[in-house]
Amino acid sequence: MKRRTTFLCLIATLAMIALLPLGAVQADGHCEFANYTITIGGLAPLSAPGAVAGGVAMDWAFNQAADDINADCGVQIDGVNYQIDVVTGDSEGSPERGQAVTERLIQEDEVDAMVGVYHSAVGLATMGMLEANAIPTVFSEPWNDNVSANGIREFDGAPPRFEDGIDHIFRISPASSMVGSVIVDWLLSLGVDDVVLIVENTDYGQPAAADEAARFEAGGATVSKIDVELGTEDFVPILSRIQARAEAPDVIRILVTGETSFNLTQQMAELGIAPSDDTICVTNQFAFQSDQYWATVPDGNFCAFNRVGIIPSLFSDAAVELNAKYEEAWGDIIPSFAMASYDAVHIVADAMERAGSYSDAAAIVAAIEATDIDLSQGRYYFEYGAHNPELPEGTPAFMWHQWPDPIVTVMQYYEPGQSGLDAAVIYPEVYQTHGTAYIAPGTSP
Amino acid sequence: MVIHDTVFVIWLLAAGPLWAAIGLFLLPSVNQGRAESEQISITTLQIAGVIGGFALGPVGVGLFYFEPALIRRTTLTAGVAITVFVSSQVLARIVDPNLPSGLWLLLAGPLWAAVAAFILPRQYRAVEANDQNVLTAAALGGFAIGPIIIGLMWKHTPKISRDWMIVLGSLGAWQIYTLFAIHNTTNPCVASPYHITYLTQQTANGVVIGAIYSLMAVGLTLIYSVQGIVSFAHGQLYMVGGYFSFYFLLHGSNILSDITGAEISINPIWGIPVAAIIVFVMGAVFERIFLKPMHEGLIERVSEYAILITFGFGFFIEYTTLAIAGPFPQRTDRFIEIRRFTLQRAQITDDFAFGPINIIGDRAFAMVVGIILIFALLYFLQRTWTGRALRATSQDRQAAAVTGINPTNMNTLSFGMGSMLAAMSGAALIPIFAWVPWVGAEMVGRSYVIVVLGGLGSVPGALLGGVIVGIVEALGAGCHPDPSRGAAYKEAFALVIFALVLLLKPTGLFGREQT
Repeated sequence: MKRRTTFLCLIATLAMIALLPLGAVQADGHCEFANYTITIGGLAPLSAPGAVAGGVAMDWAFNQAADDINADCGVQIDGVNYQIDVVTGDSEGSPERGQAVTERLIQEDEVDAMVGVYHSAVGLATMGMLEANAIPTVFSEPWNDNVSANGIREFDGAPPRFEDGIDHIFRISPASSMVGSVIVDWLLSLGVDDVVLIVENTDYGQPAAADEAARFEAGGATVSKIDVELGTEDFVPILSRIQARAEAPDVIRILVTGETSFNLTQQMAELGIAPSDDTICVTNQFAFQSDQYWATVPDGNFCAFNRVGIIPSLFSDAAVELNAKYEEAWGDIIPSFAMASYDAVHIVADAMERAGSYSDAAAIVAAIEATDIDLSQGRYYFEYGAHNPELPEGTPAFMWHQWPDPIVTVMQYYEPGQSGLDAAVIYPEVYQTHGTAYIAPGTSP
Repeated sequence: MVIHDTVFVIWLLAAGPLWAAIGLFLLPSVNQGRAESEQISITTLQIAGVIGGFALGPVGVGLFYFEPALIRRTTLTAGVAITVFVSSQVLARIVDPNLPSGLWLLLAGPLWAAVAAFILPRQYRAVEANDQNVLTAAALGGFAIGPIIIGLMWKHTPKISRDWMIVLGSLGAWQIYTLFAIHNTTNPCVASPYHITYLTQQTANGVVIGAIYSLMAVGLTLIYSVQGIVSFAHGQLYMVGGYFSFYFLLHGSNILSDITGAEISINPIWGIPVAAIIVFVMGAVFERIFLKPMHEGLIERVSEYAILITFGFGFFIEYTTLAIAGPFPQRTDRFIEIRRFTLQRAQITDDFAFGPINIIGDRAFAMVVGIILIFALLYFLQRTWTGRALRATSQDRQAAAVTGINPTNMNTLSFGMGSMLAAMSGAALIPIFAWVPWVGAEMVGRSYVIVVLGGLGSVPGALLGGVIVGIVEALGAGCHPDPSRGAAYKEAFALVIFALVLLLKPTGLFGREQT
């Protein structure tokens, strides 16, 4: 009898523990939460052919942001604390898959807002659905100019700014044109006049190359463009073609992402094409992840690369703390798109608090437009939107709902195995860390 | 590091005359043990040995030694190719680039191809001659030499053999190359002052990477030849082989460093046997558990089962690796500390220079490893009892069983060895490419092309198919008139050759007819 009573007590205790999360009010340390959890959808490439390394870092950042927000008592609306949960969907880097996952997040998971997106093609493909379903969205990595330009352009035949005049898409990553202008200005300032662009065949690579080519040509340089497919491993035939030119190019600019860019950069260095005395190597922002870079591009010393996001020497306390957490999890420096993804979740949570609602899309969008918050990448705000709809003459359309201040710099390694945190910032001049705009191979700053 | 040109020249000499001499003396022994009717004349063998050895070194000698059937056709193809190239060079220099293309259209080209394709099959049927392959031959011949071939075939209605197809196909290629040489004056393959060097460079690039492709394809063809199934896990076995090598080198170096107290780095060459052993066991166990029931008649829809179960195996390996190793790219140290071999530029005559030619050091090393492994496999298959048992099982399972061979064990052995070859290929390439859990996807697609091109089930076919695919991709990317598109279409060039071979010889270059 006694044994049976003990058994029943044990069962009852276990049942109470199991049912505890279903209670009307949950207790989590010092915070009390409402029984509704705000669901934010995250979209990131978590499997091939997408950029999985990027997607995994973004997924980590979403969840880290949710953890940090929840640890700070979640989103406070009308005096009630709501926990946040980020549900990440795997876009696989494919527009079709991205649409299917977005549909699932909207219809089945009933997300209150969306963040993320790595590949521009996925961003462009899902924008129409997000608009049609009135989901406030903060994109953290797609670069295609048309992502944020949608606010004042027609997309898929839909009228601009649906019904009540709001546009739900925001972007805190830079537009390709913003990155391209910095790279081109830097190279033209070095006097280059013969440029080879090696470009991935994607919605990121092609428009970015077209923009940079136009800028180079406007600056008097000649441009040769070579298209490659993502996933290609062997670039030696096409690099041999560059090597066979009568004159070596002044610069080879790589507009290719992921491990494909690592293979390309390494083979270029192995063949002695660039970096060399004749040719500057400009690889992509992935090079900032120095552990990955040196593991796969051991001959890549003296390559320059574009860096999006705040430079290491200007890291705020929040950025340092976030970087430490990332290094603990992954053993490498935090990439800018992980910082942006982390910040995107915070921007949404902050807007919901100010809007006083997690479900009123119009109020949340208006709150995001009025954002003024310091996060890991700096101060976020949106200059143009429904709150300030007139874009002055000459302002590009992509500035609509676009964070205007993503810092774009050019960095360069000058020692093998160097940490990305120690690489030299060489452009723009205002951020230069070593007083030079280029470190020639074989020299030190 | 740049190797002094004399060192590289010595290497070249070793691949040239030395191997020509080896071929000269070795190949006549091919006739030993062959029926008189199958014997090849000593002179032919000696010529093949010299040409094969001089041009391709151990690859040429080995191929002819193990597959004498290749000798005649390969020598014919090489002879035609050399003639085509030389005559194109001559024409490119004597023909005015401004010559209107209309002249070519009058003498040859697509119009004559259409005319030949329309009238010649009818003529063959009218005189009741064998019209097999006539349509293709007529189109190729009409394109290449216009009315000349139409007249010849109309009058003599010869039986169209494969040799005819080789000659006519080569003449078609000659036409294209010549037009290219005359009119595309900025193309580095035909027009730059150093285009011979450039073509040599691209061919060398293709041979090096092609030999590496072959090693992976050989495993696939071995499994197919014995079991009659295509392994859809091959790309993942290739990938996991690279990772086994990576982790062995990482942890092995750490352990040795801890023991000795000094920084020790294990050369990646040691990762190859480690990956081979582990993946051989993986493949053999998988075969025993999941494929054996298929051969015992326990599975109703064998073909579908084989596709699904190997696909599932590959899926399992890929995502397990992703969970364990993570998505971030990895790479091991180099095989050798020489970044590239460079044949320095040499001024041969006042107006002709050759070089420089660059080959990445680790690729050259991996190519040598790949070739050694393929010839070791050929030796195993041709000269050992177990290898012969594998071949016997691939030809006739029941007859093999009657002679005391256990087909079940041969199935396990073939899958284990096929998996092992994929893994060795991966372990040989992880010092060369950034390694991620989905790295096998591109490579395995190319392997399917190679094995079908070479002939499903043929090891020499896989070797030659790999080299052909490598060269075609390199020349395609390097010679495409629009440089911006050449690299993007790289894989497509191999598929064009693949389609042509299937059109002209559906069993592939060395495949046998299914009985």
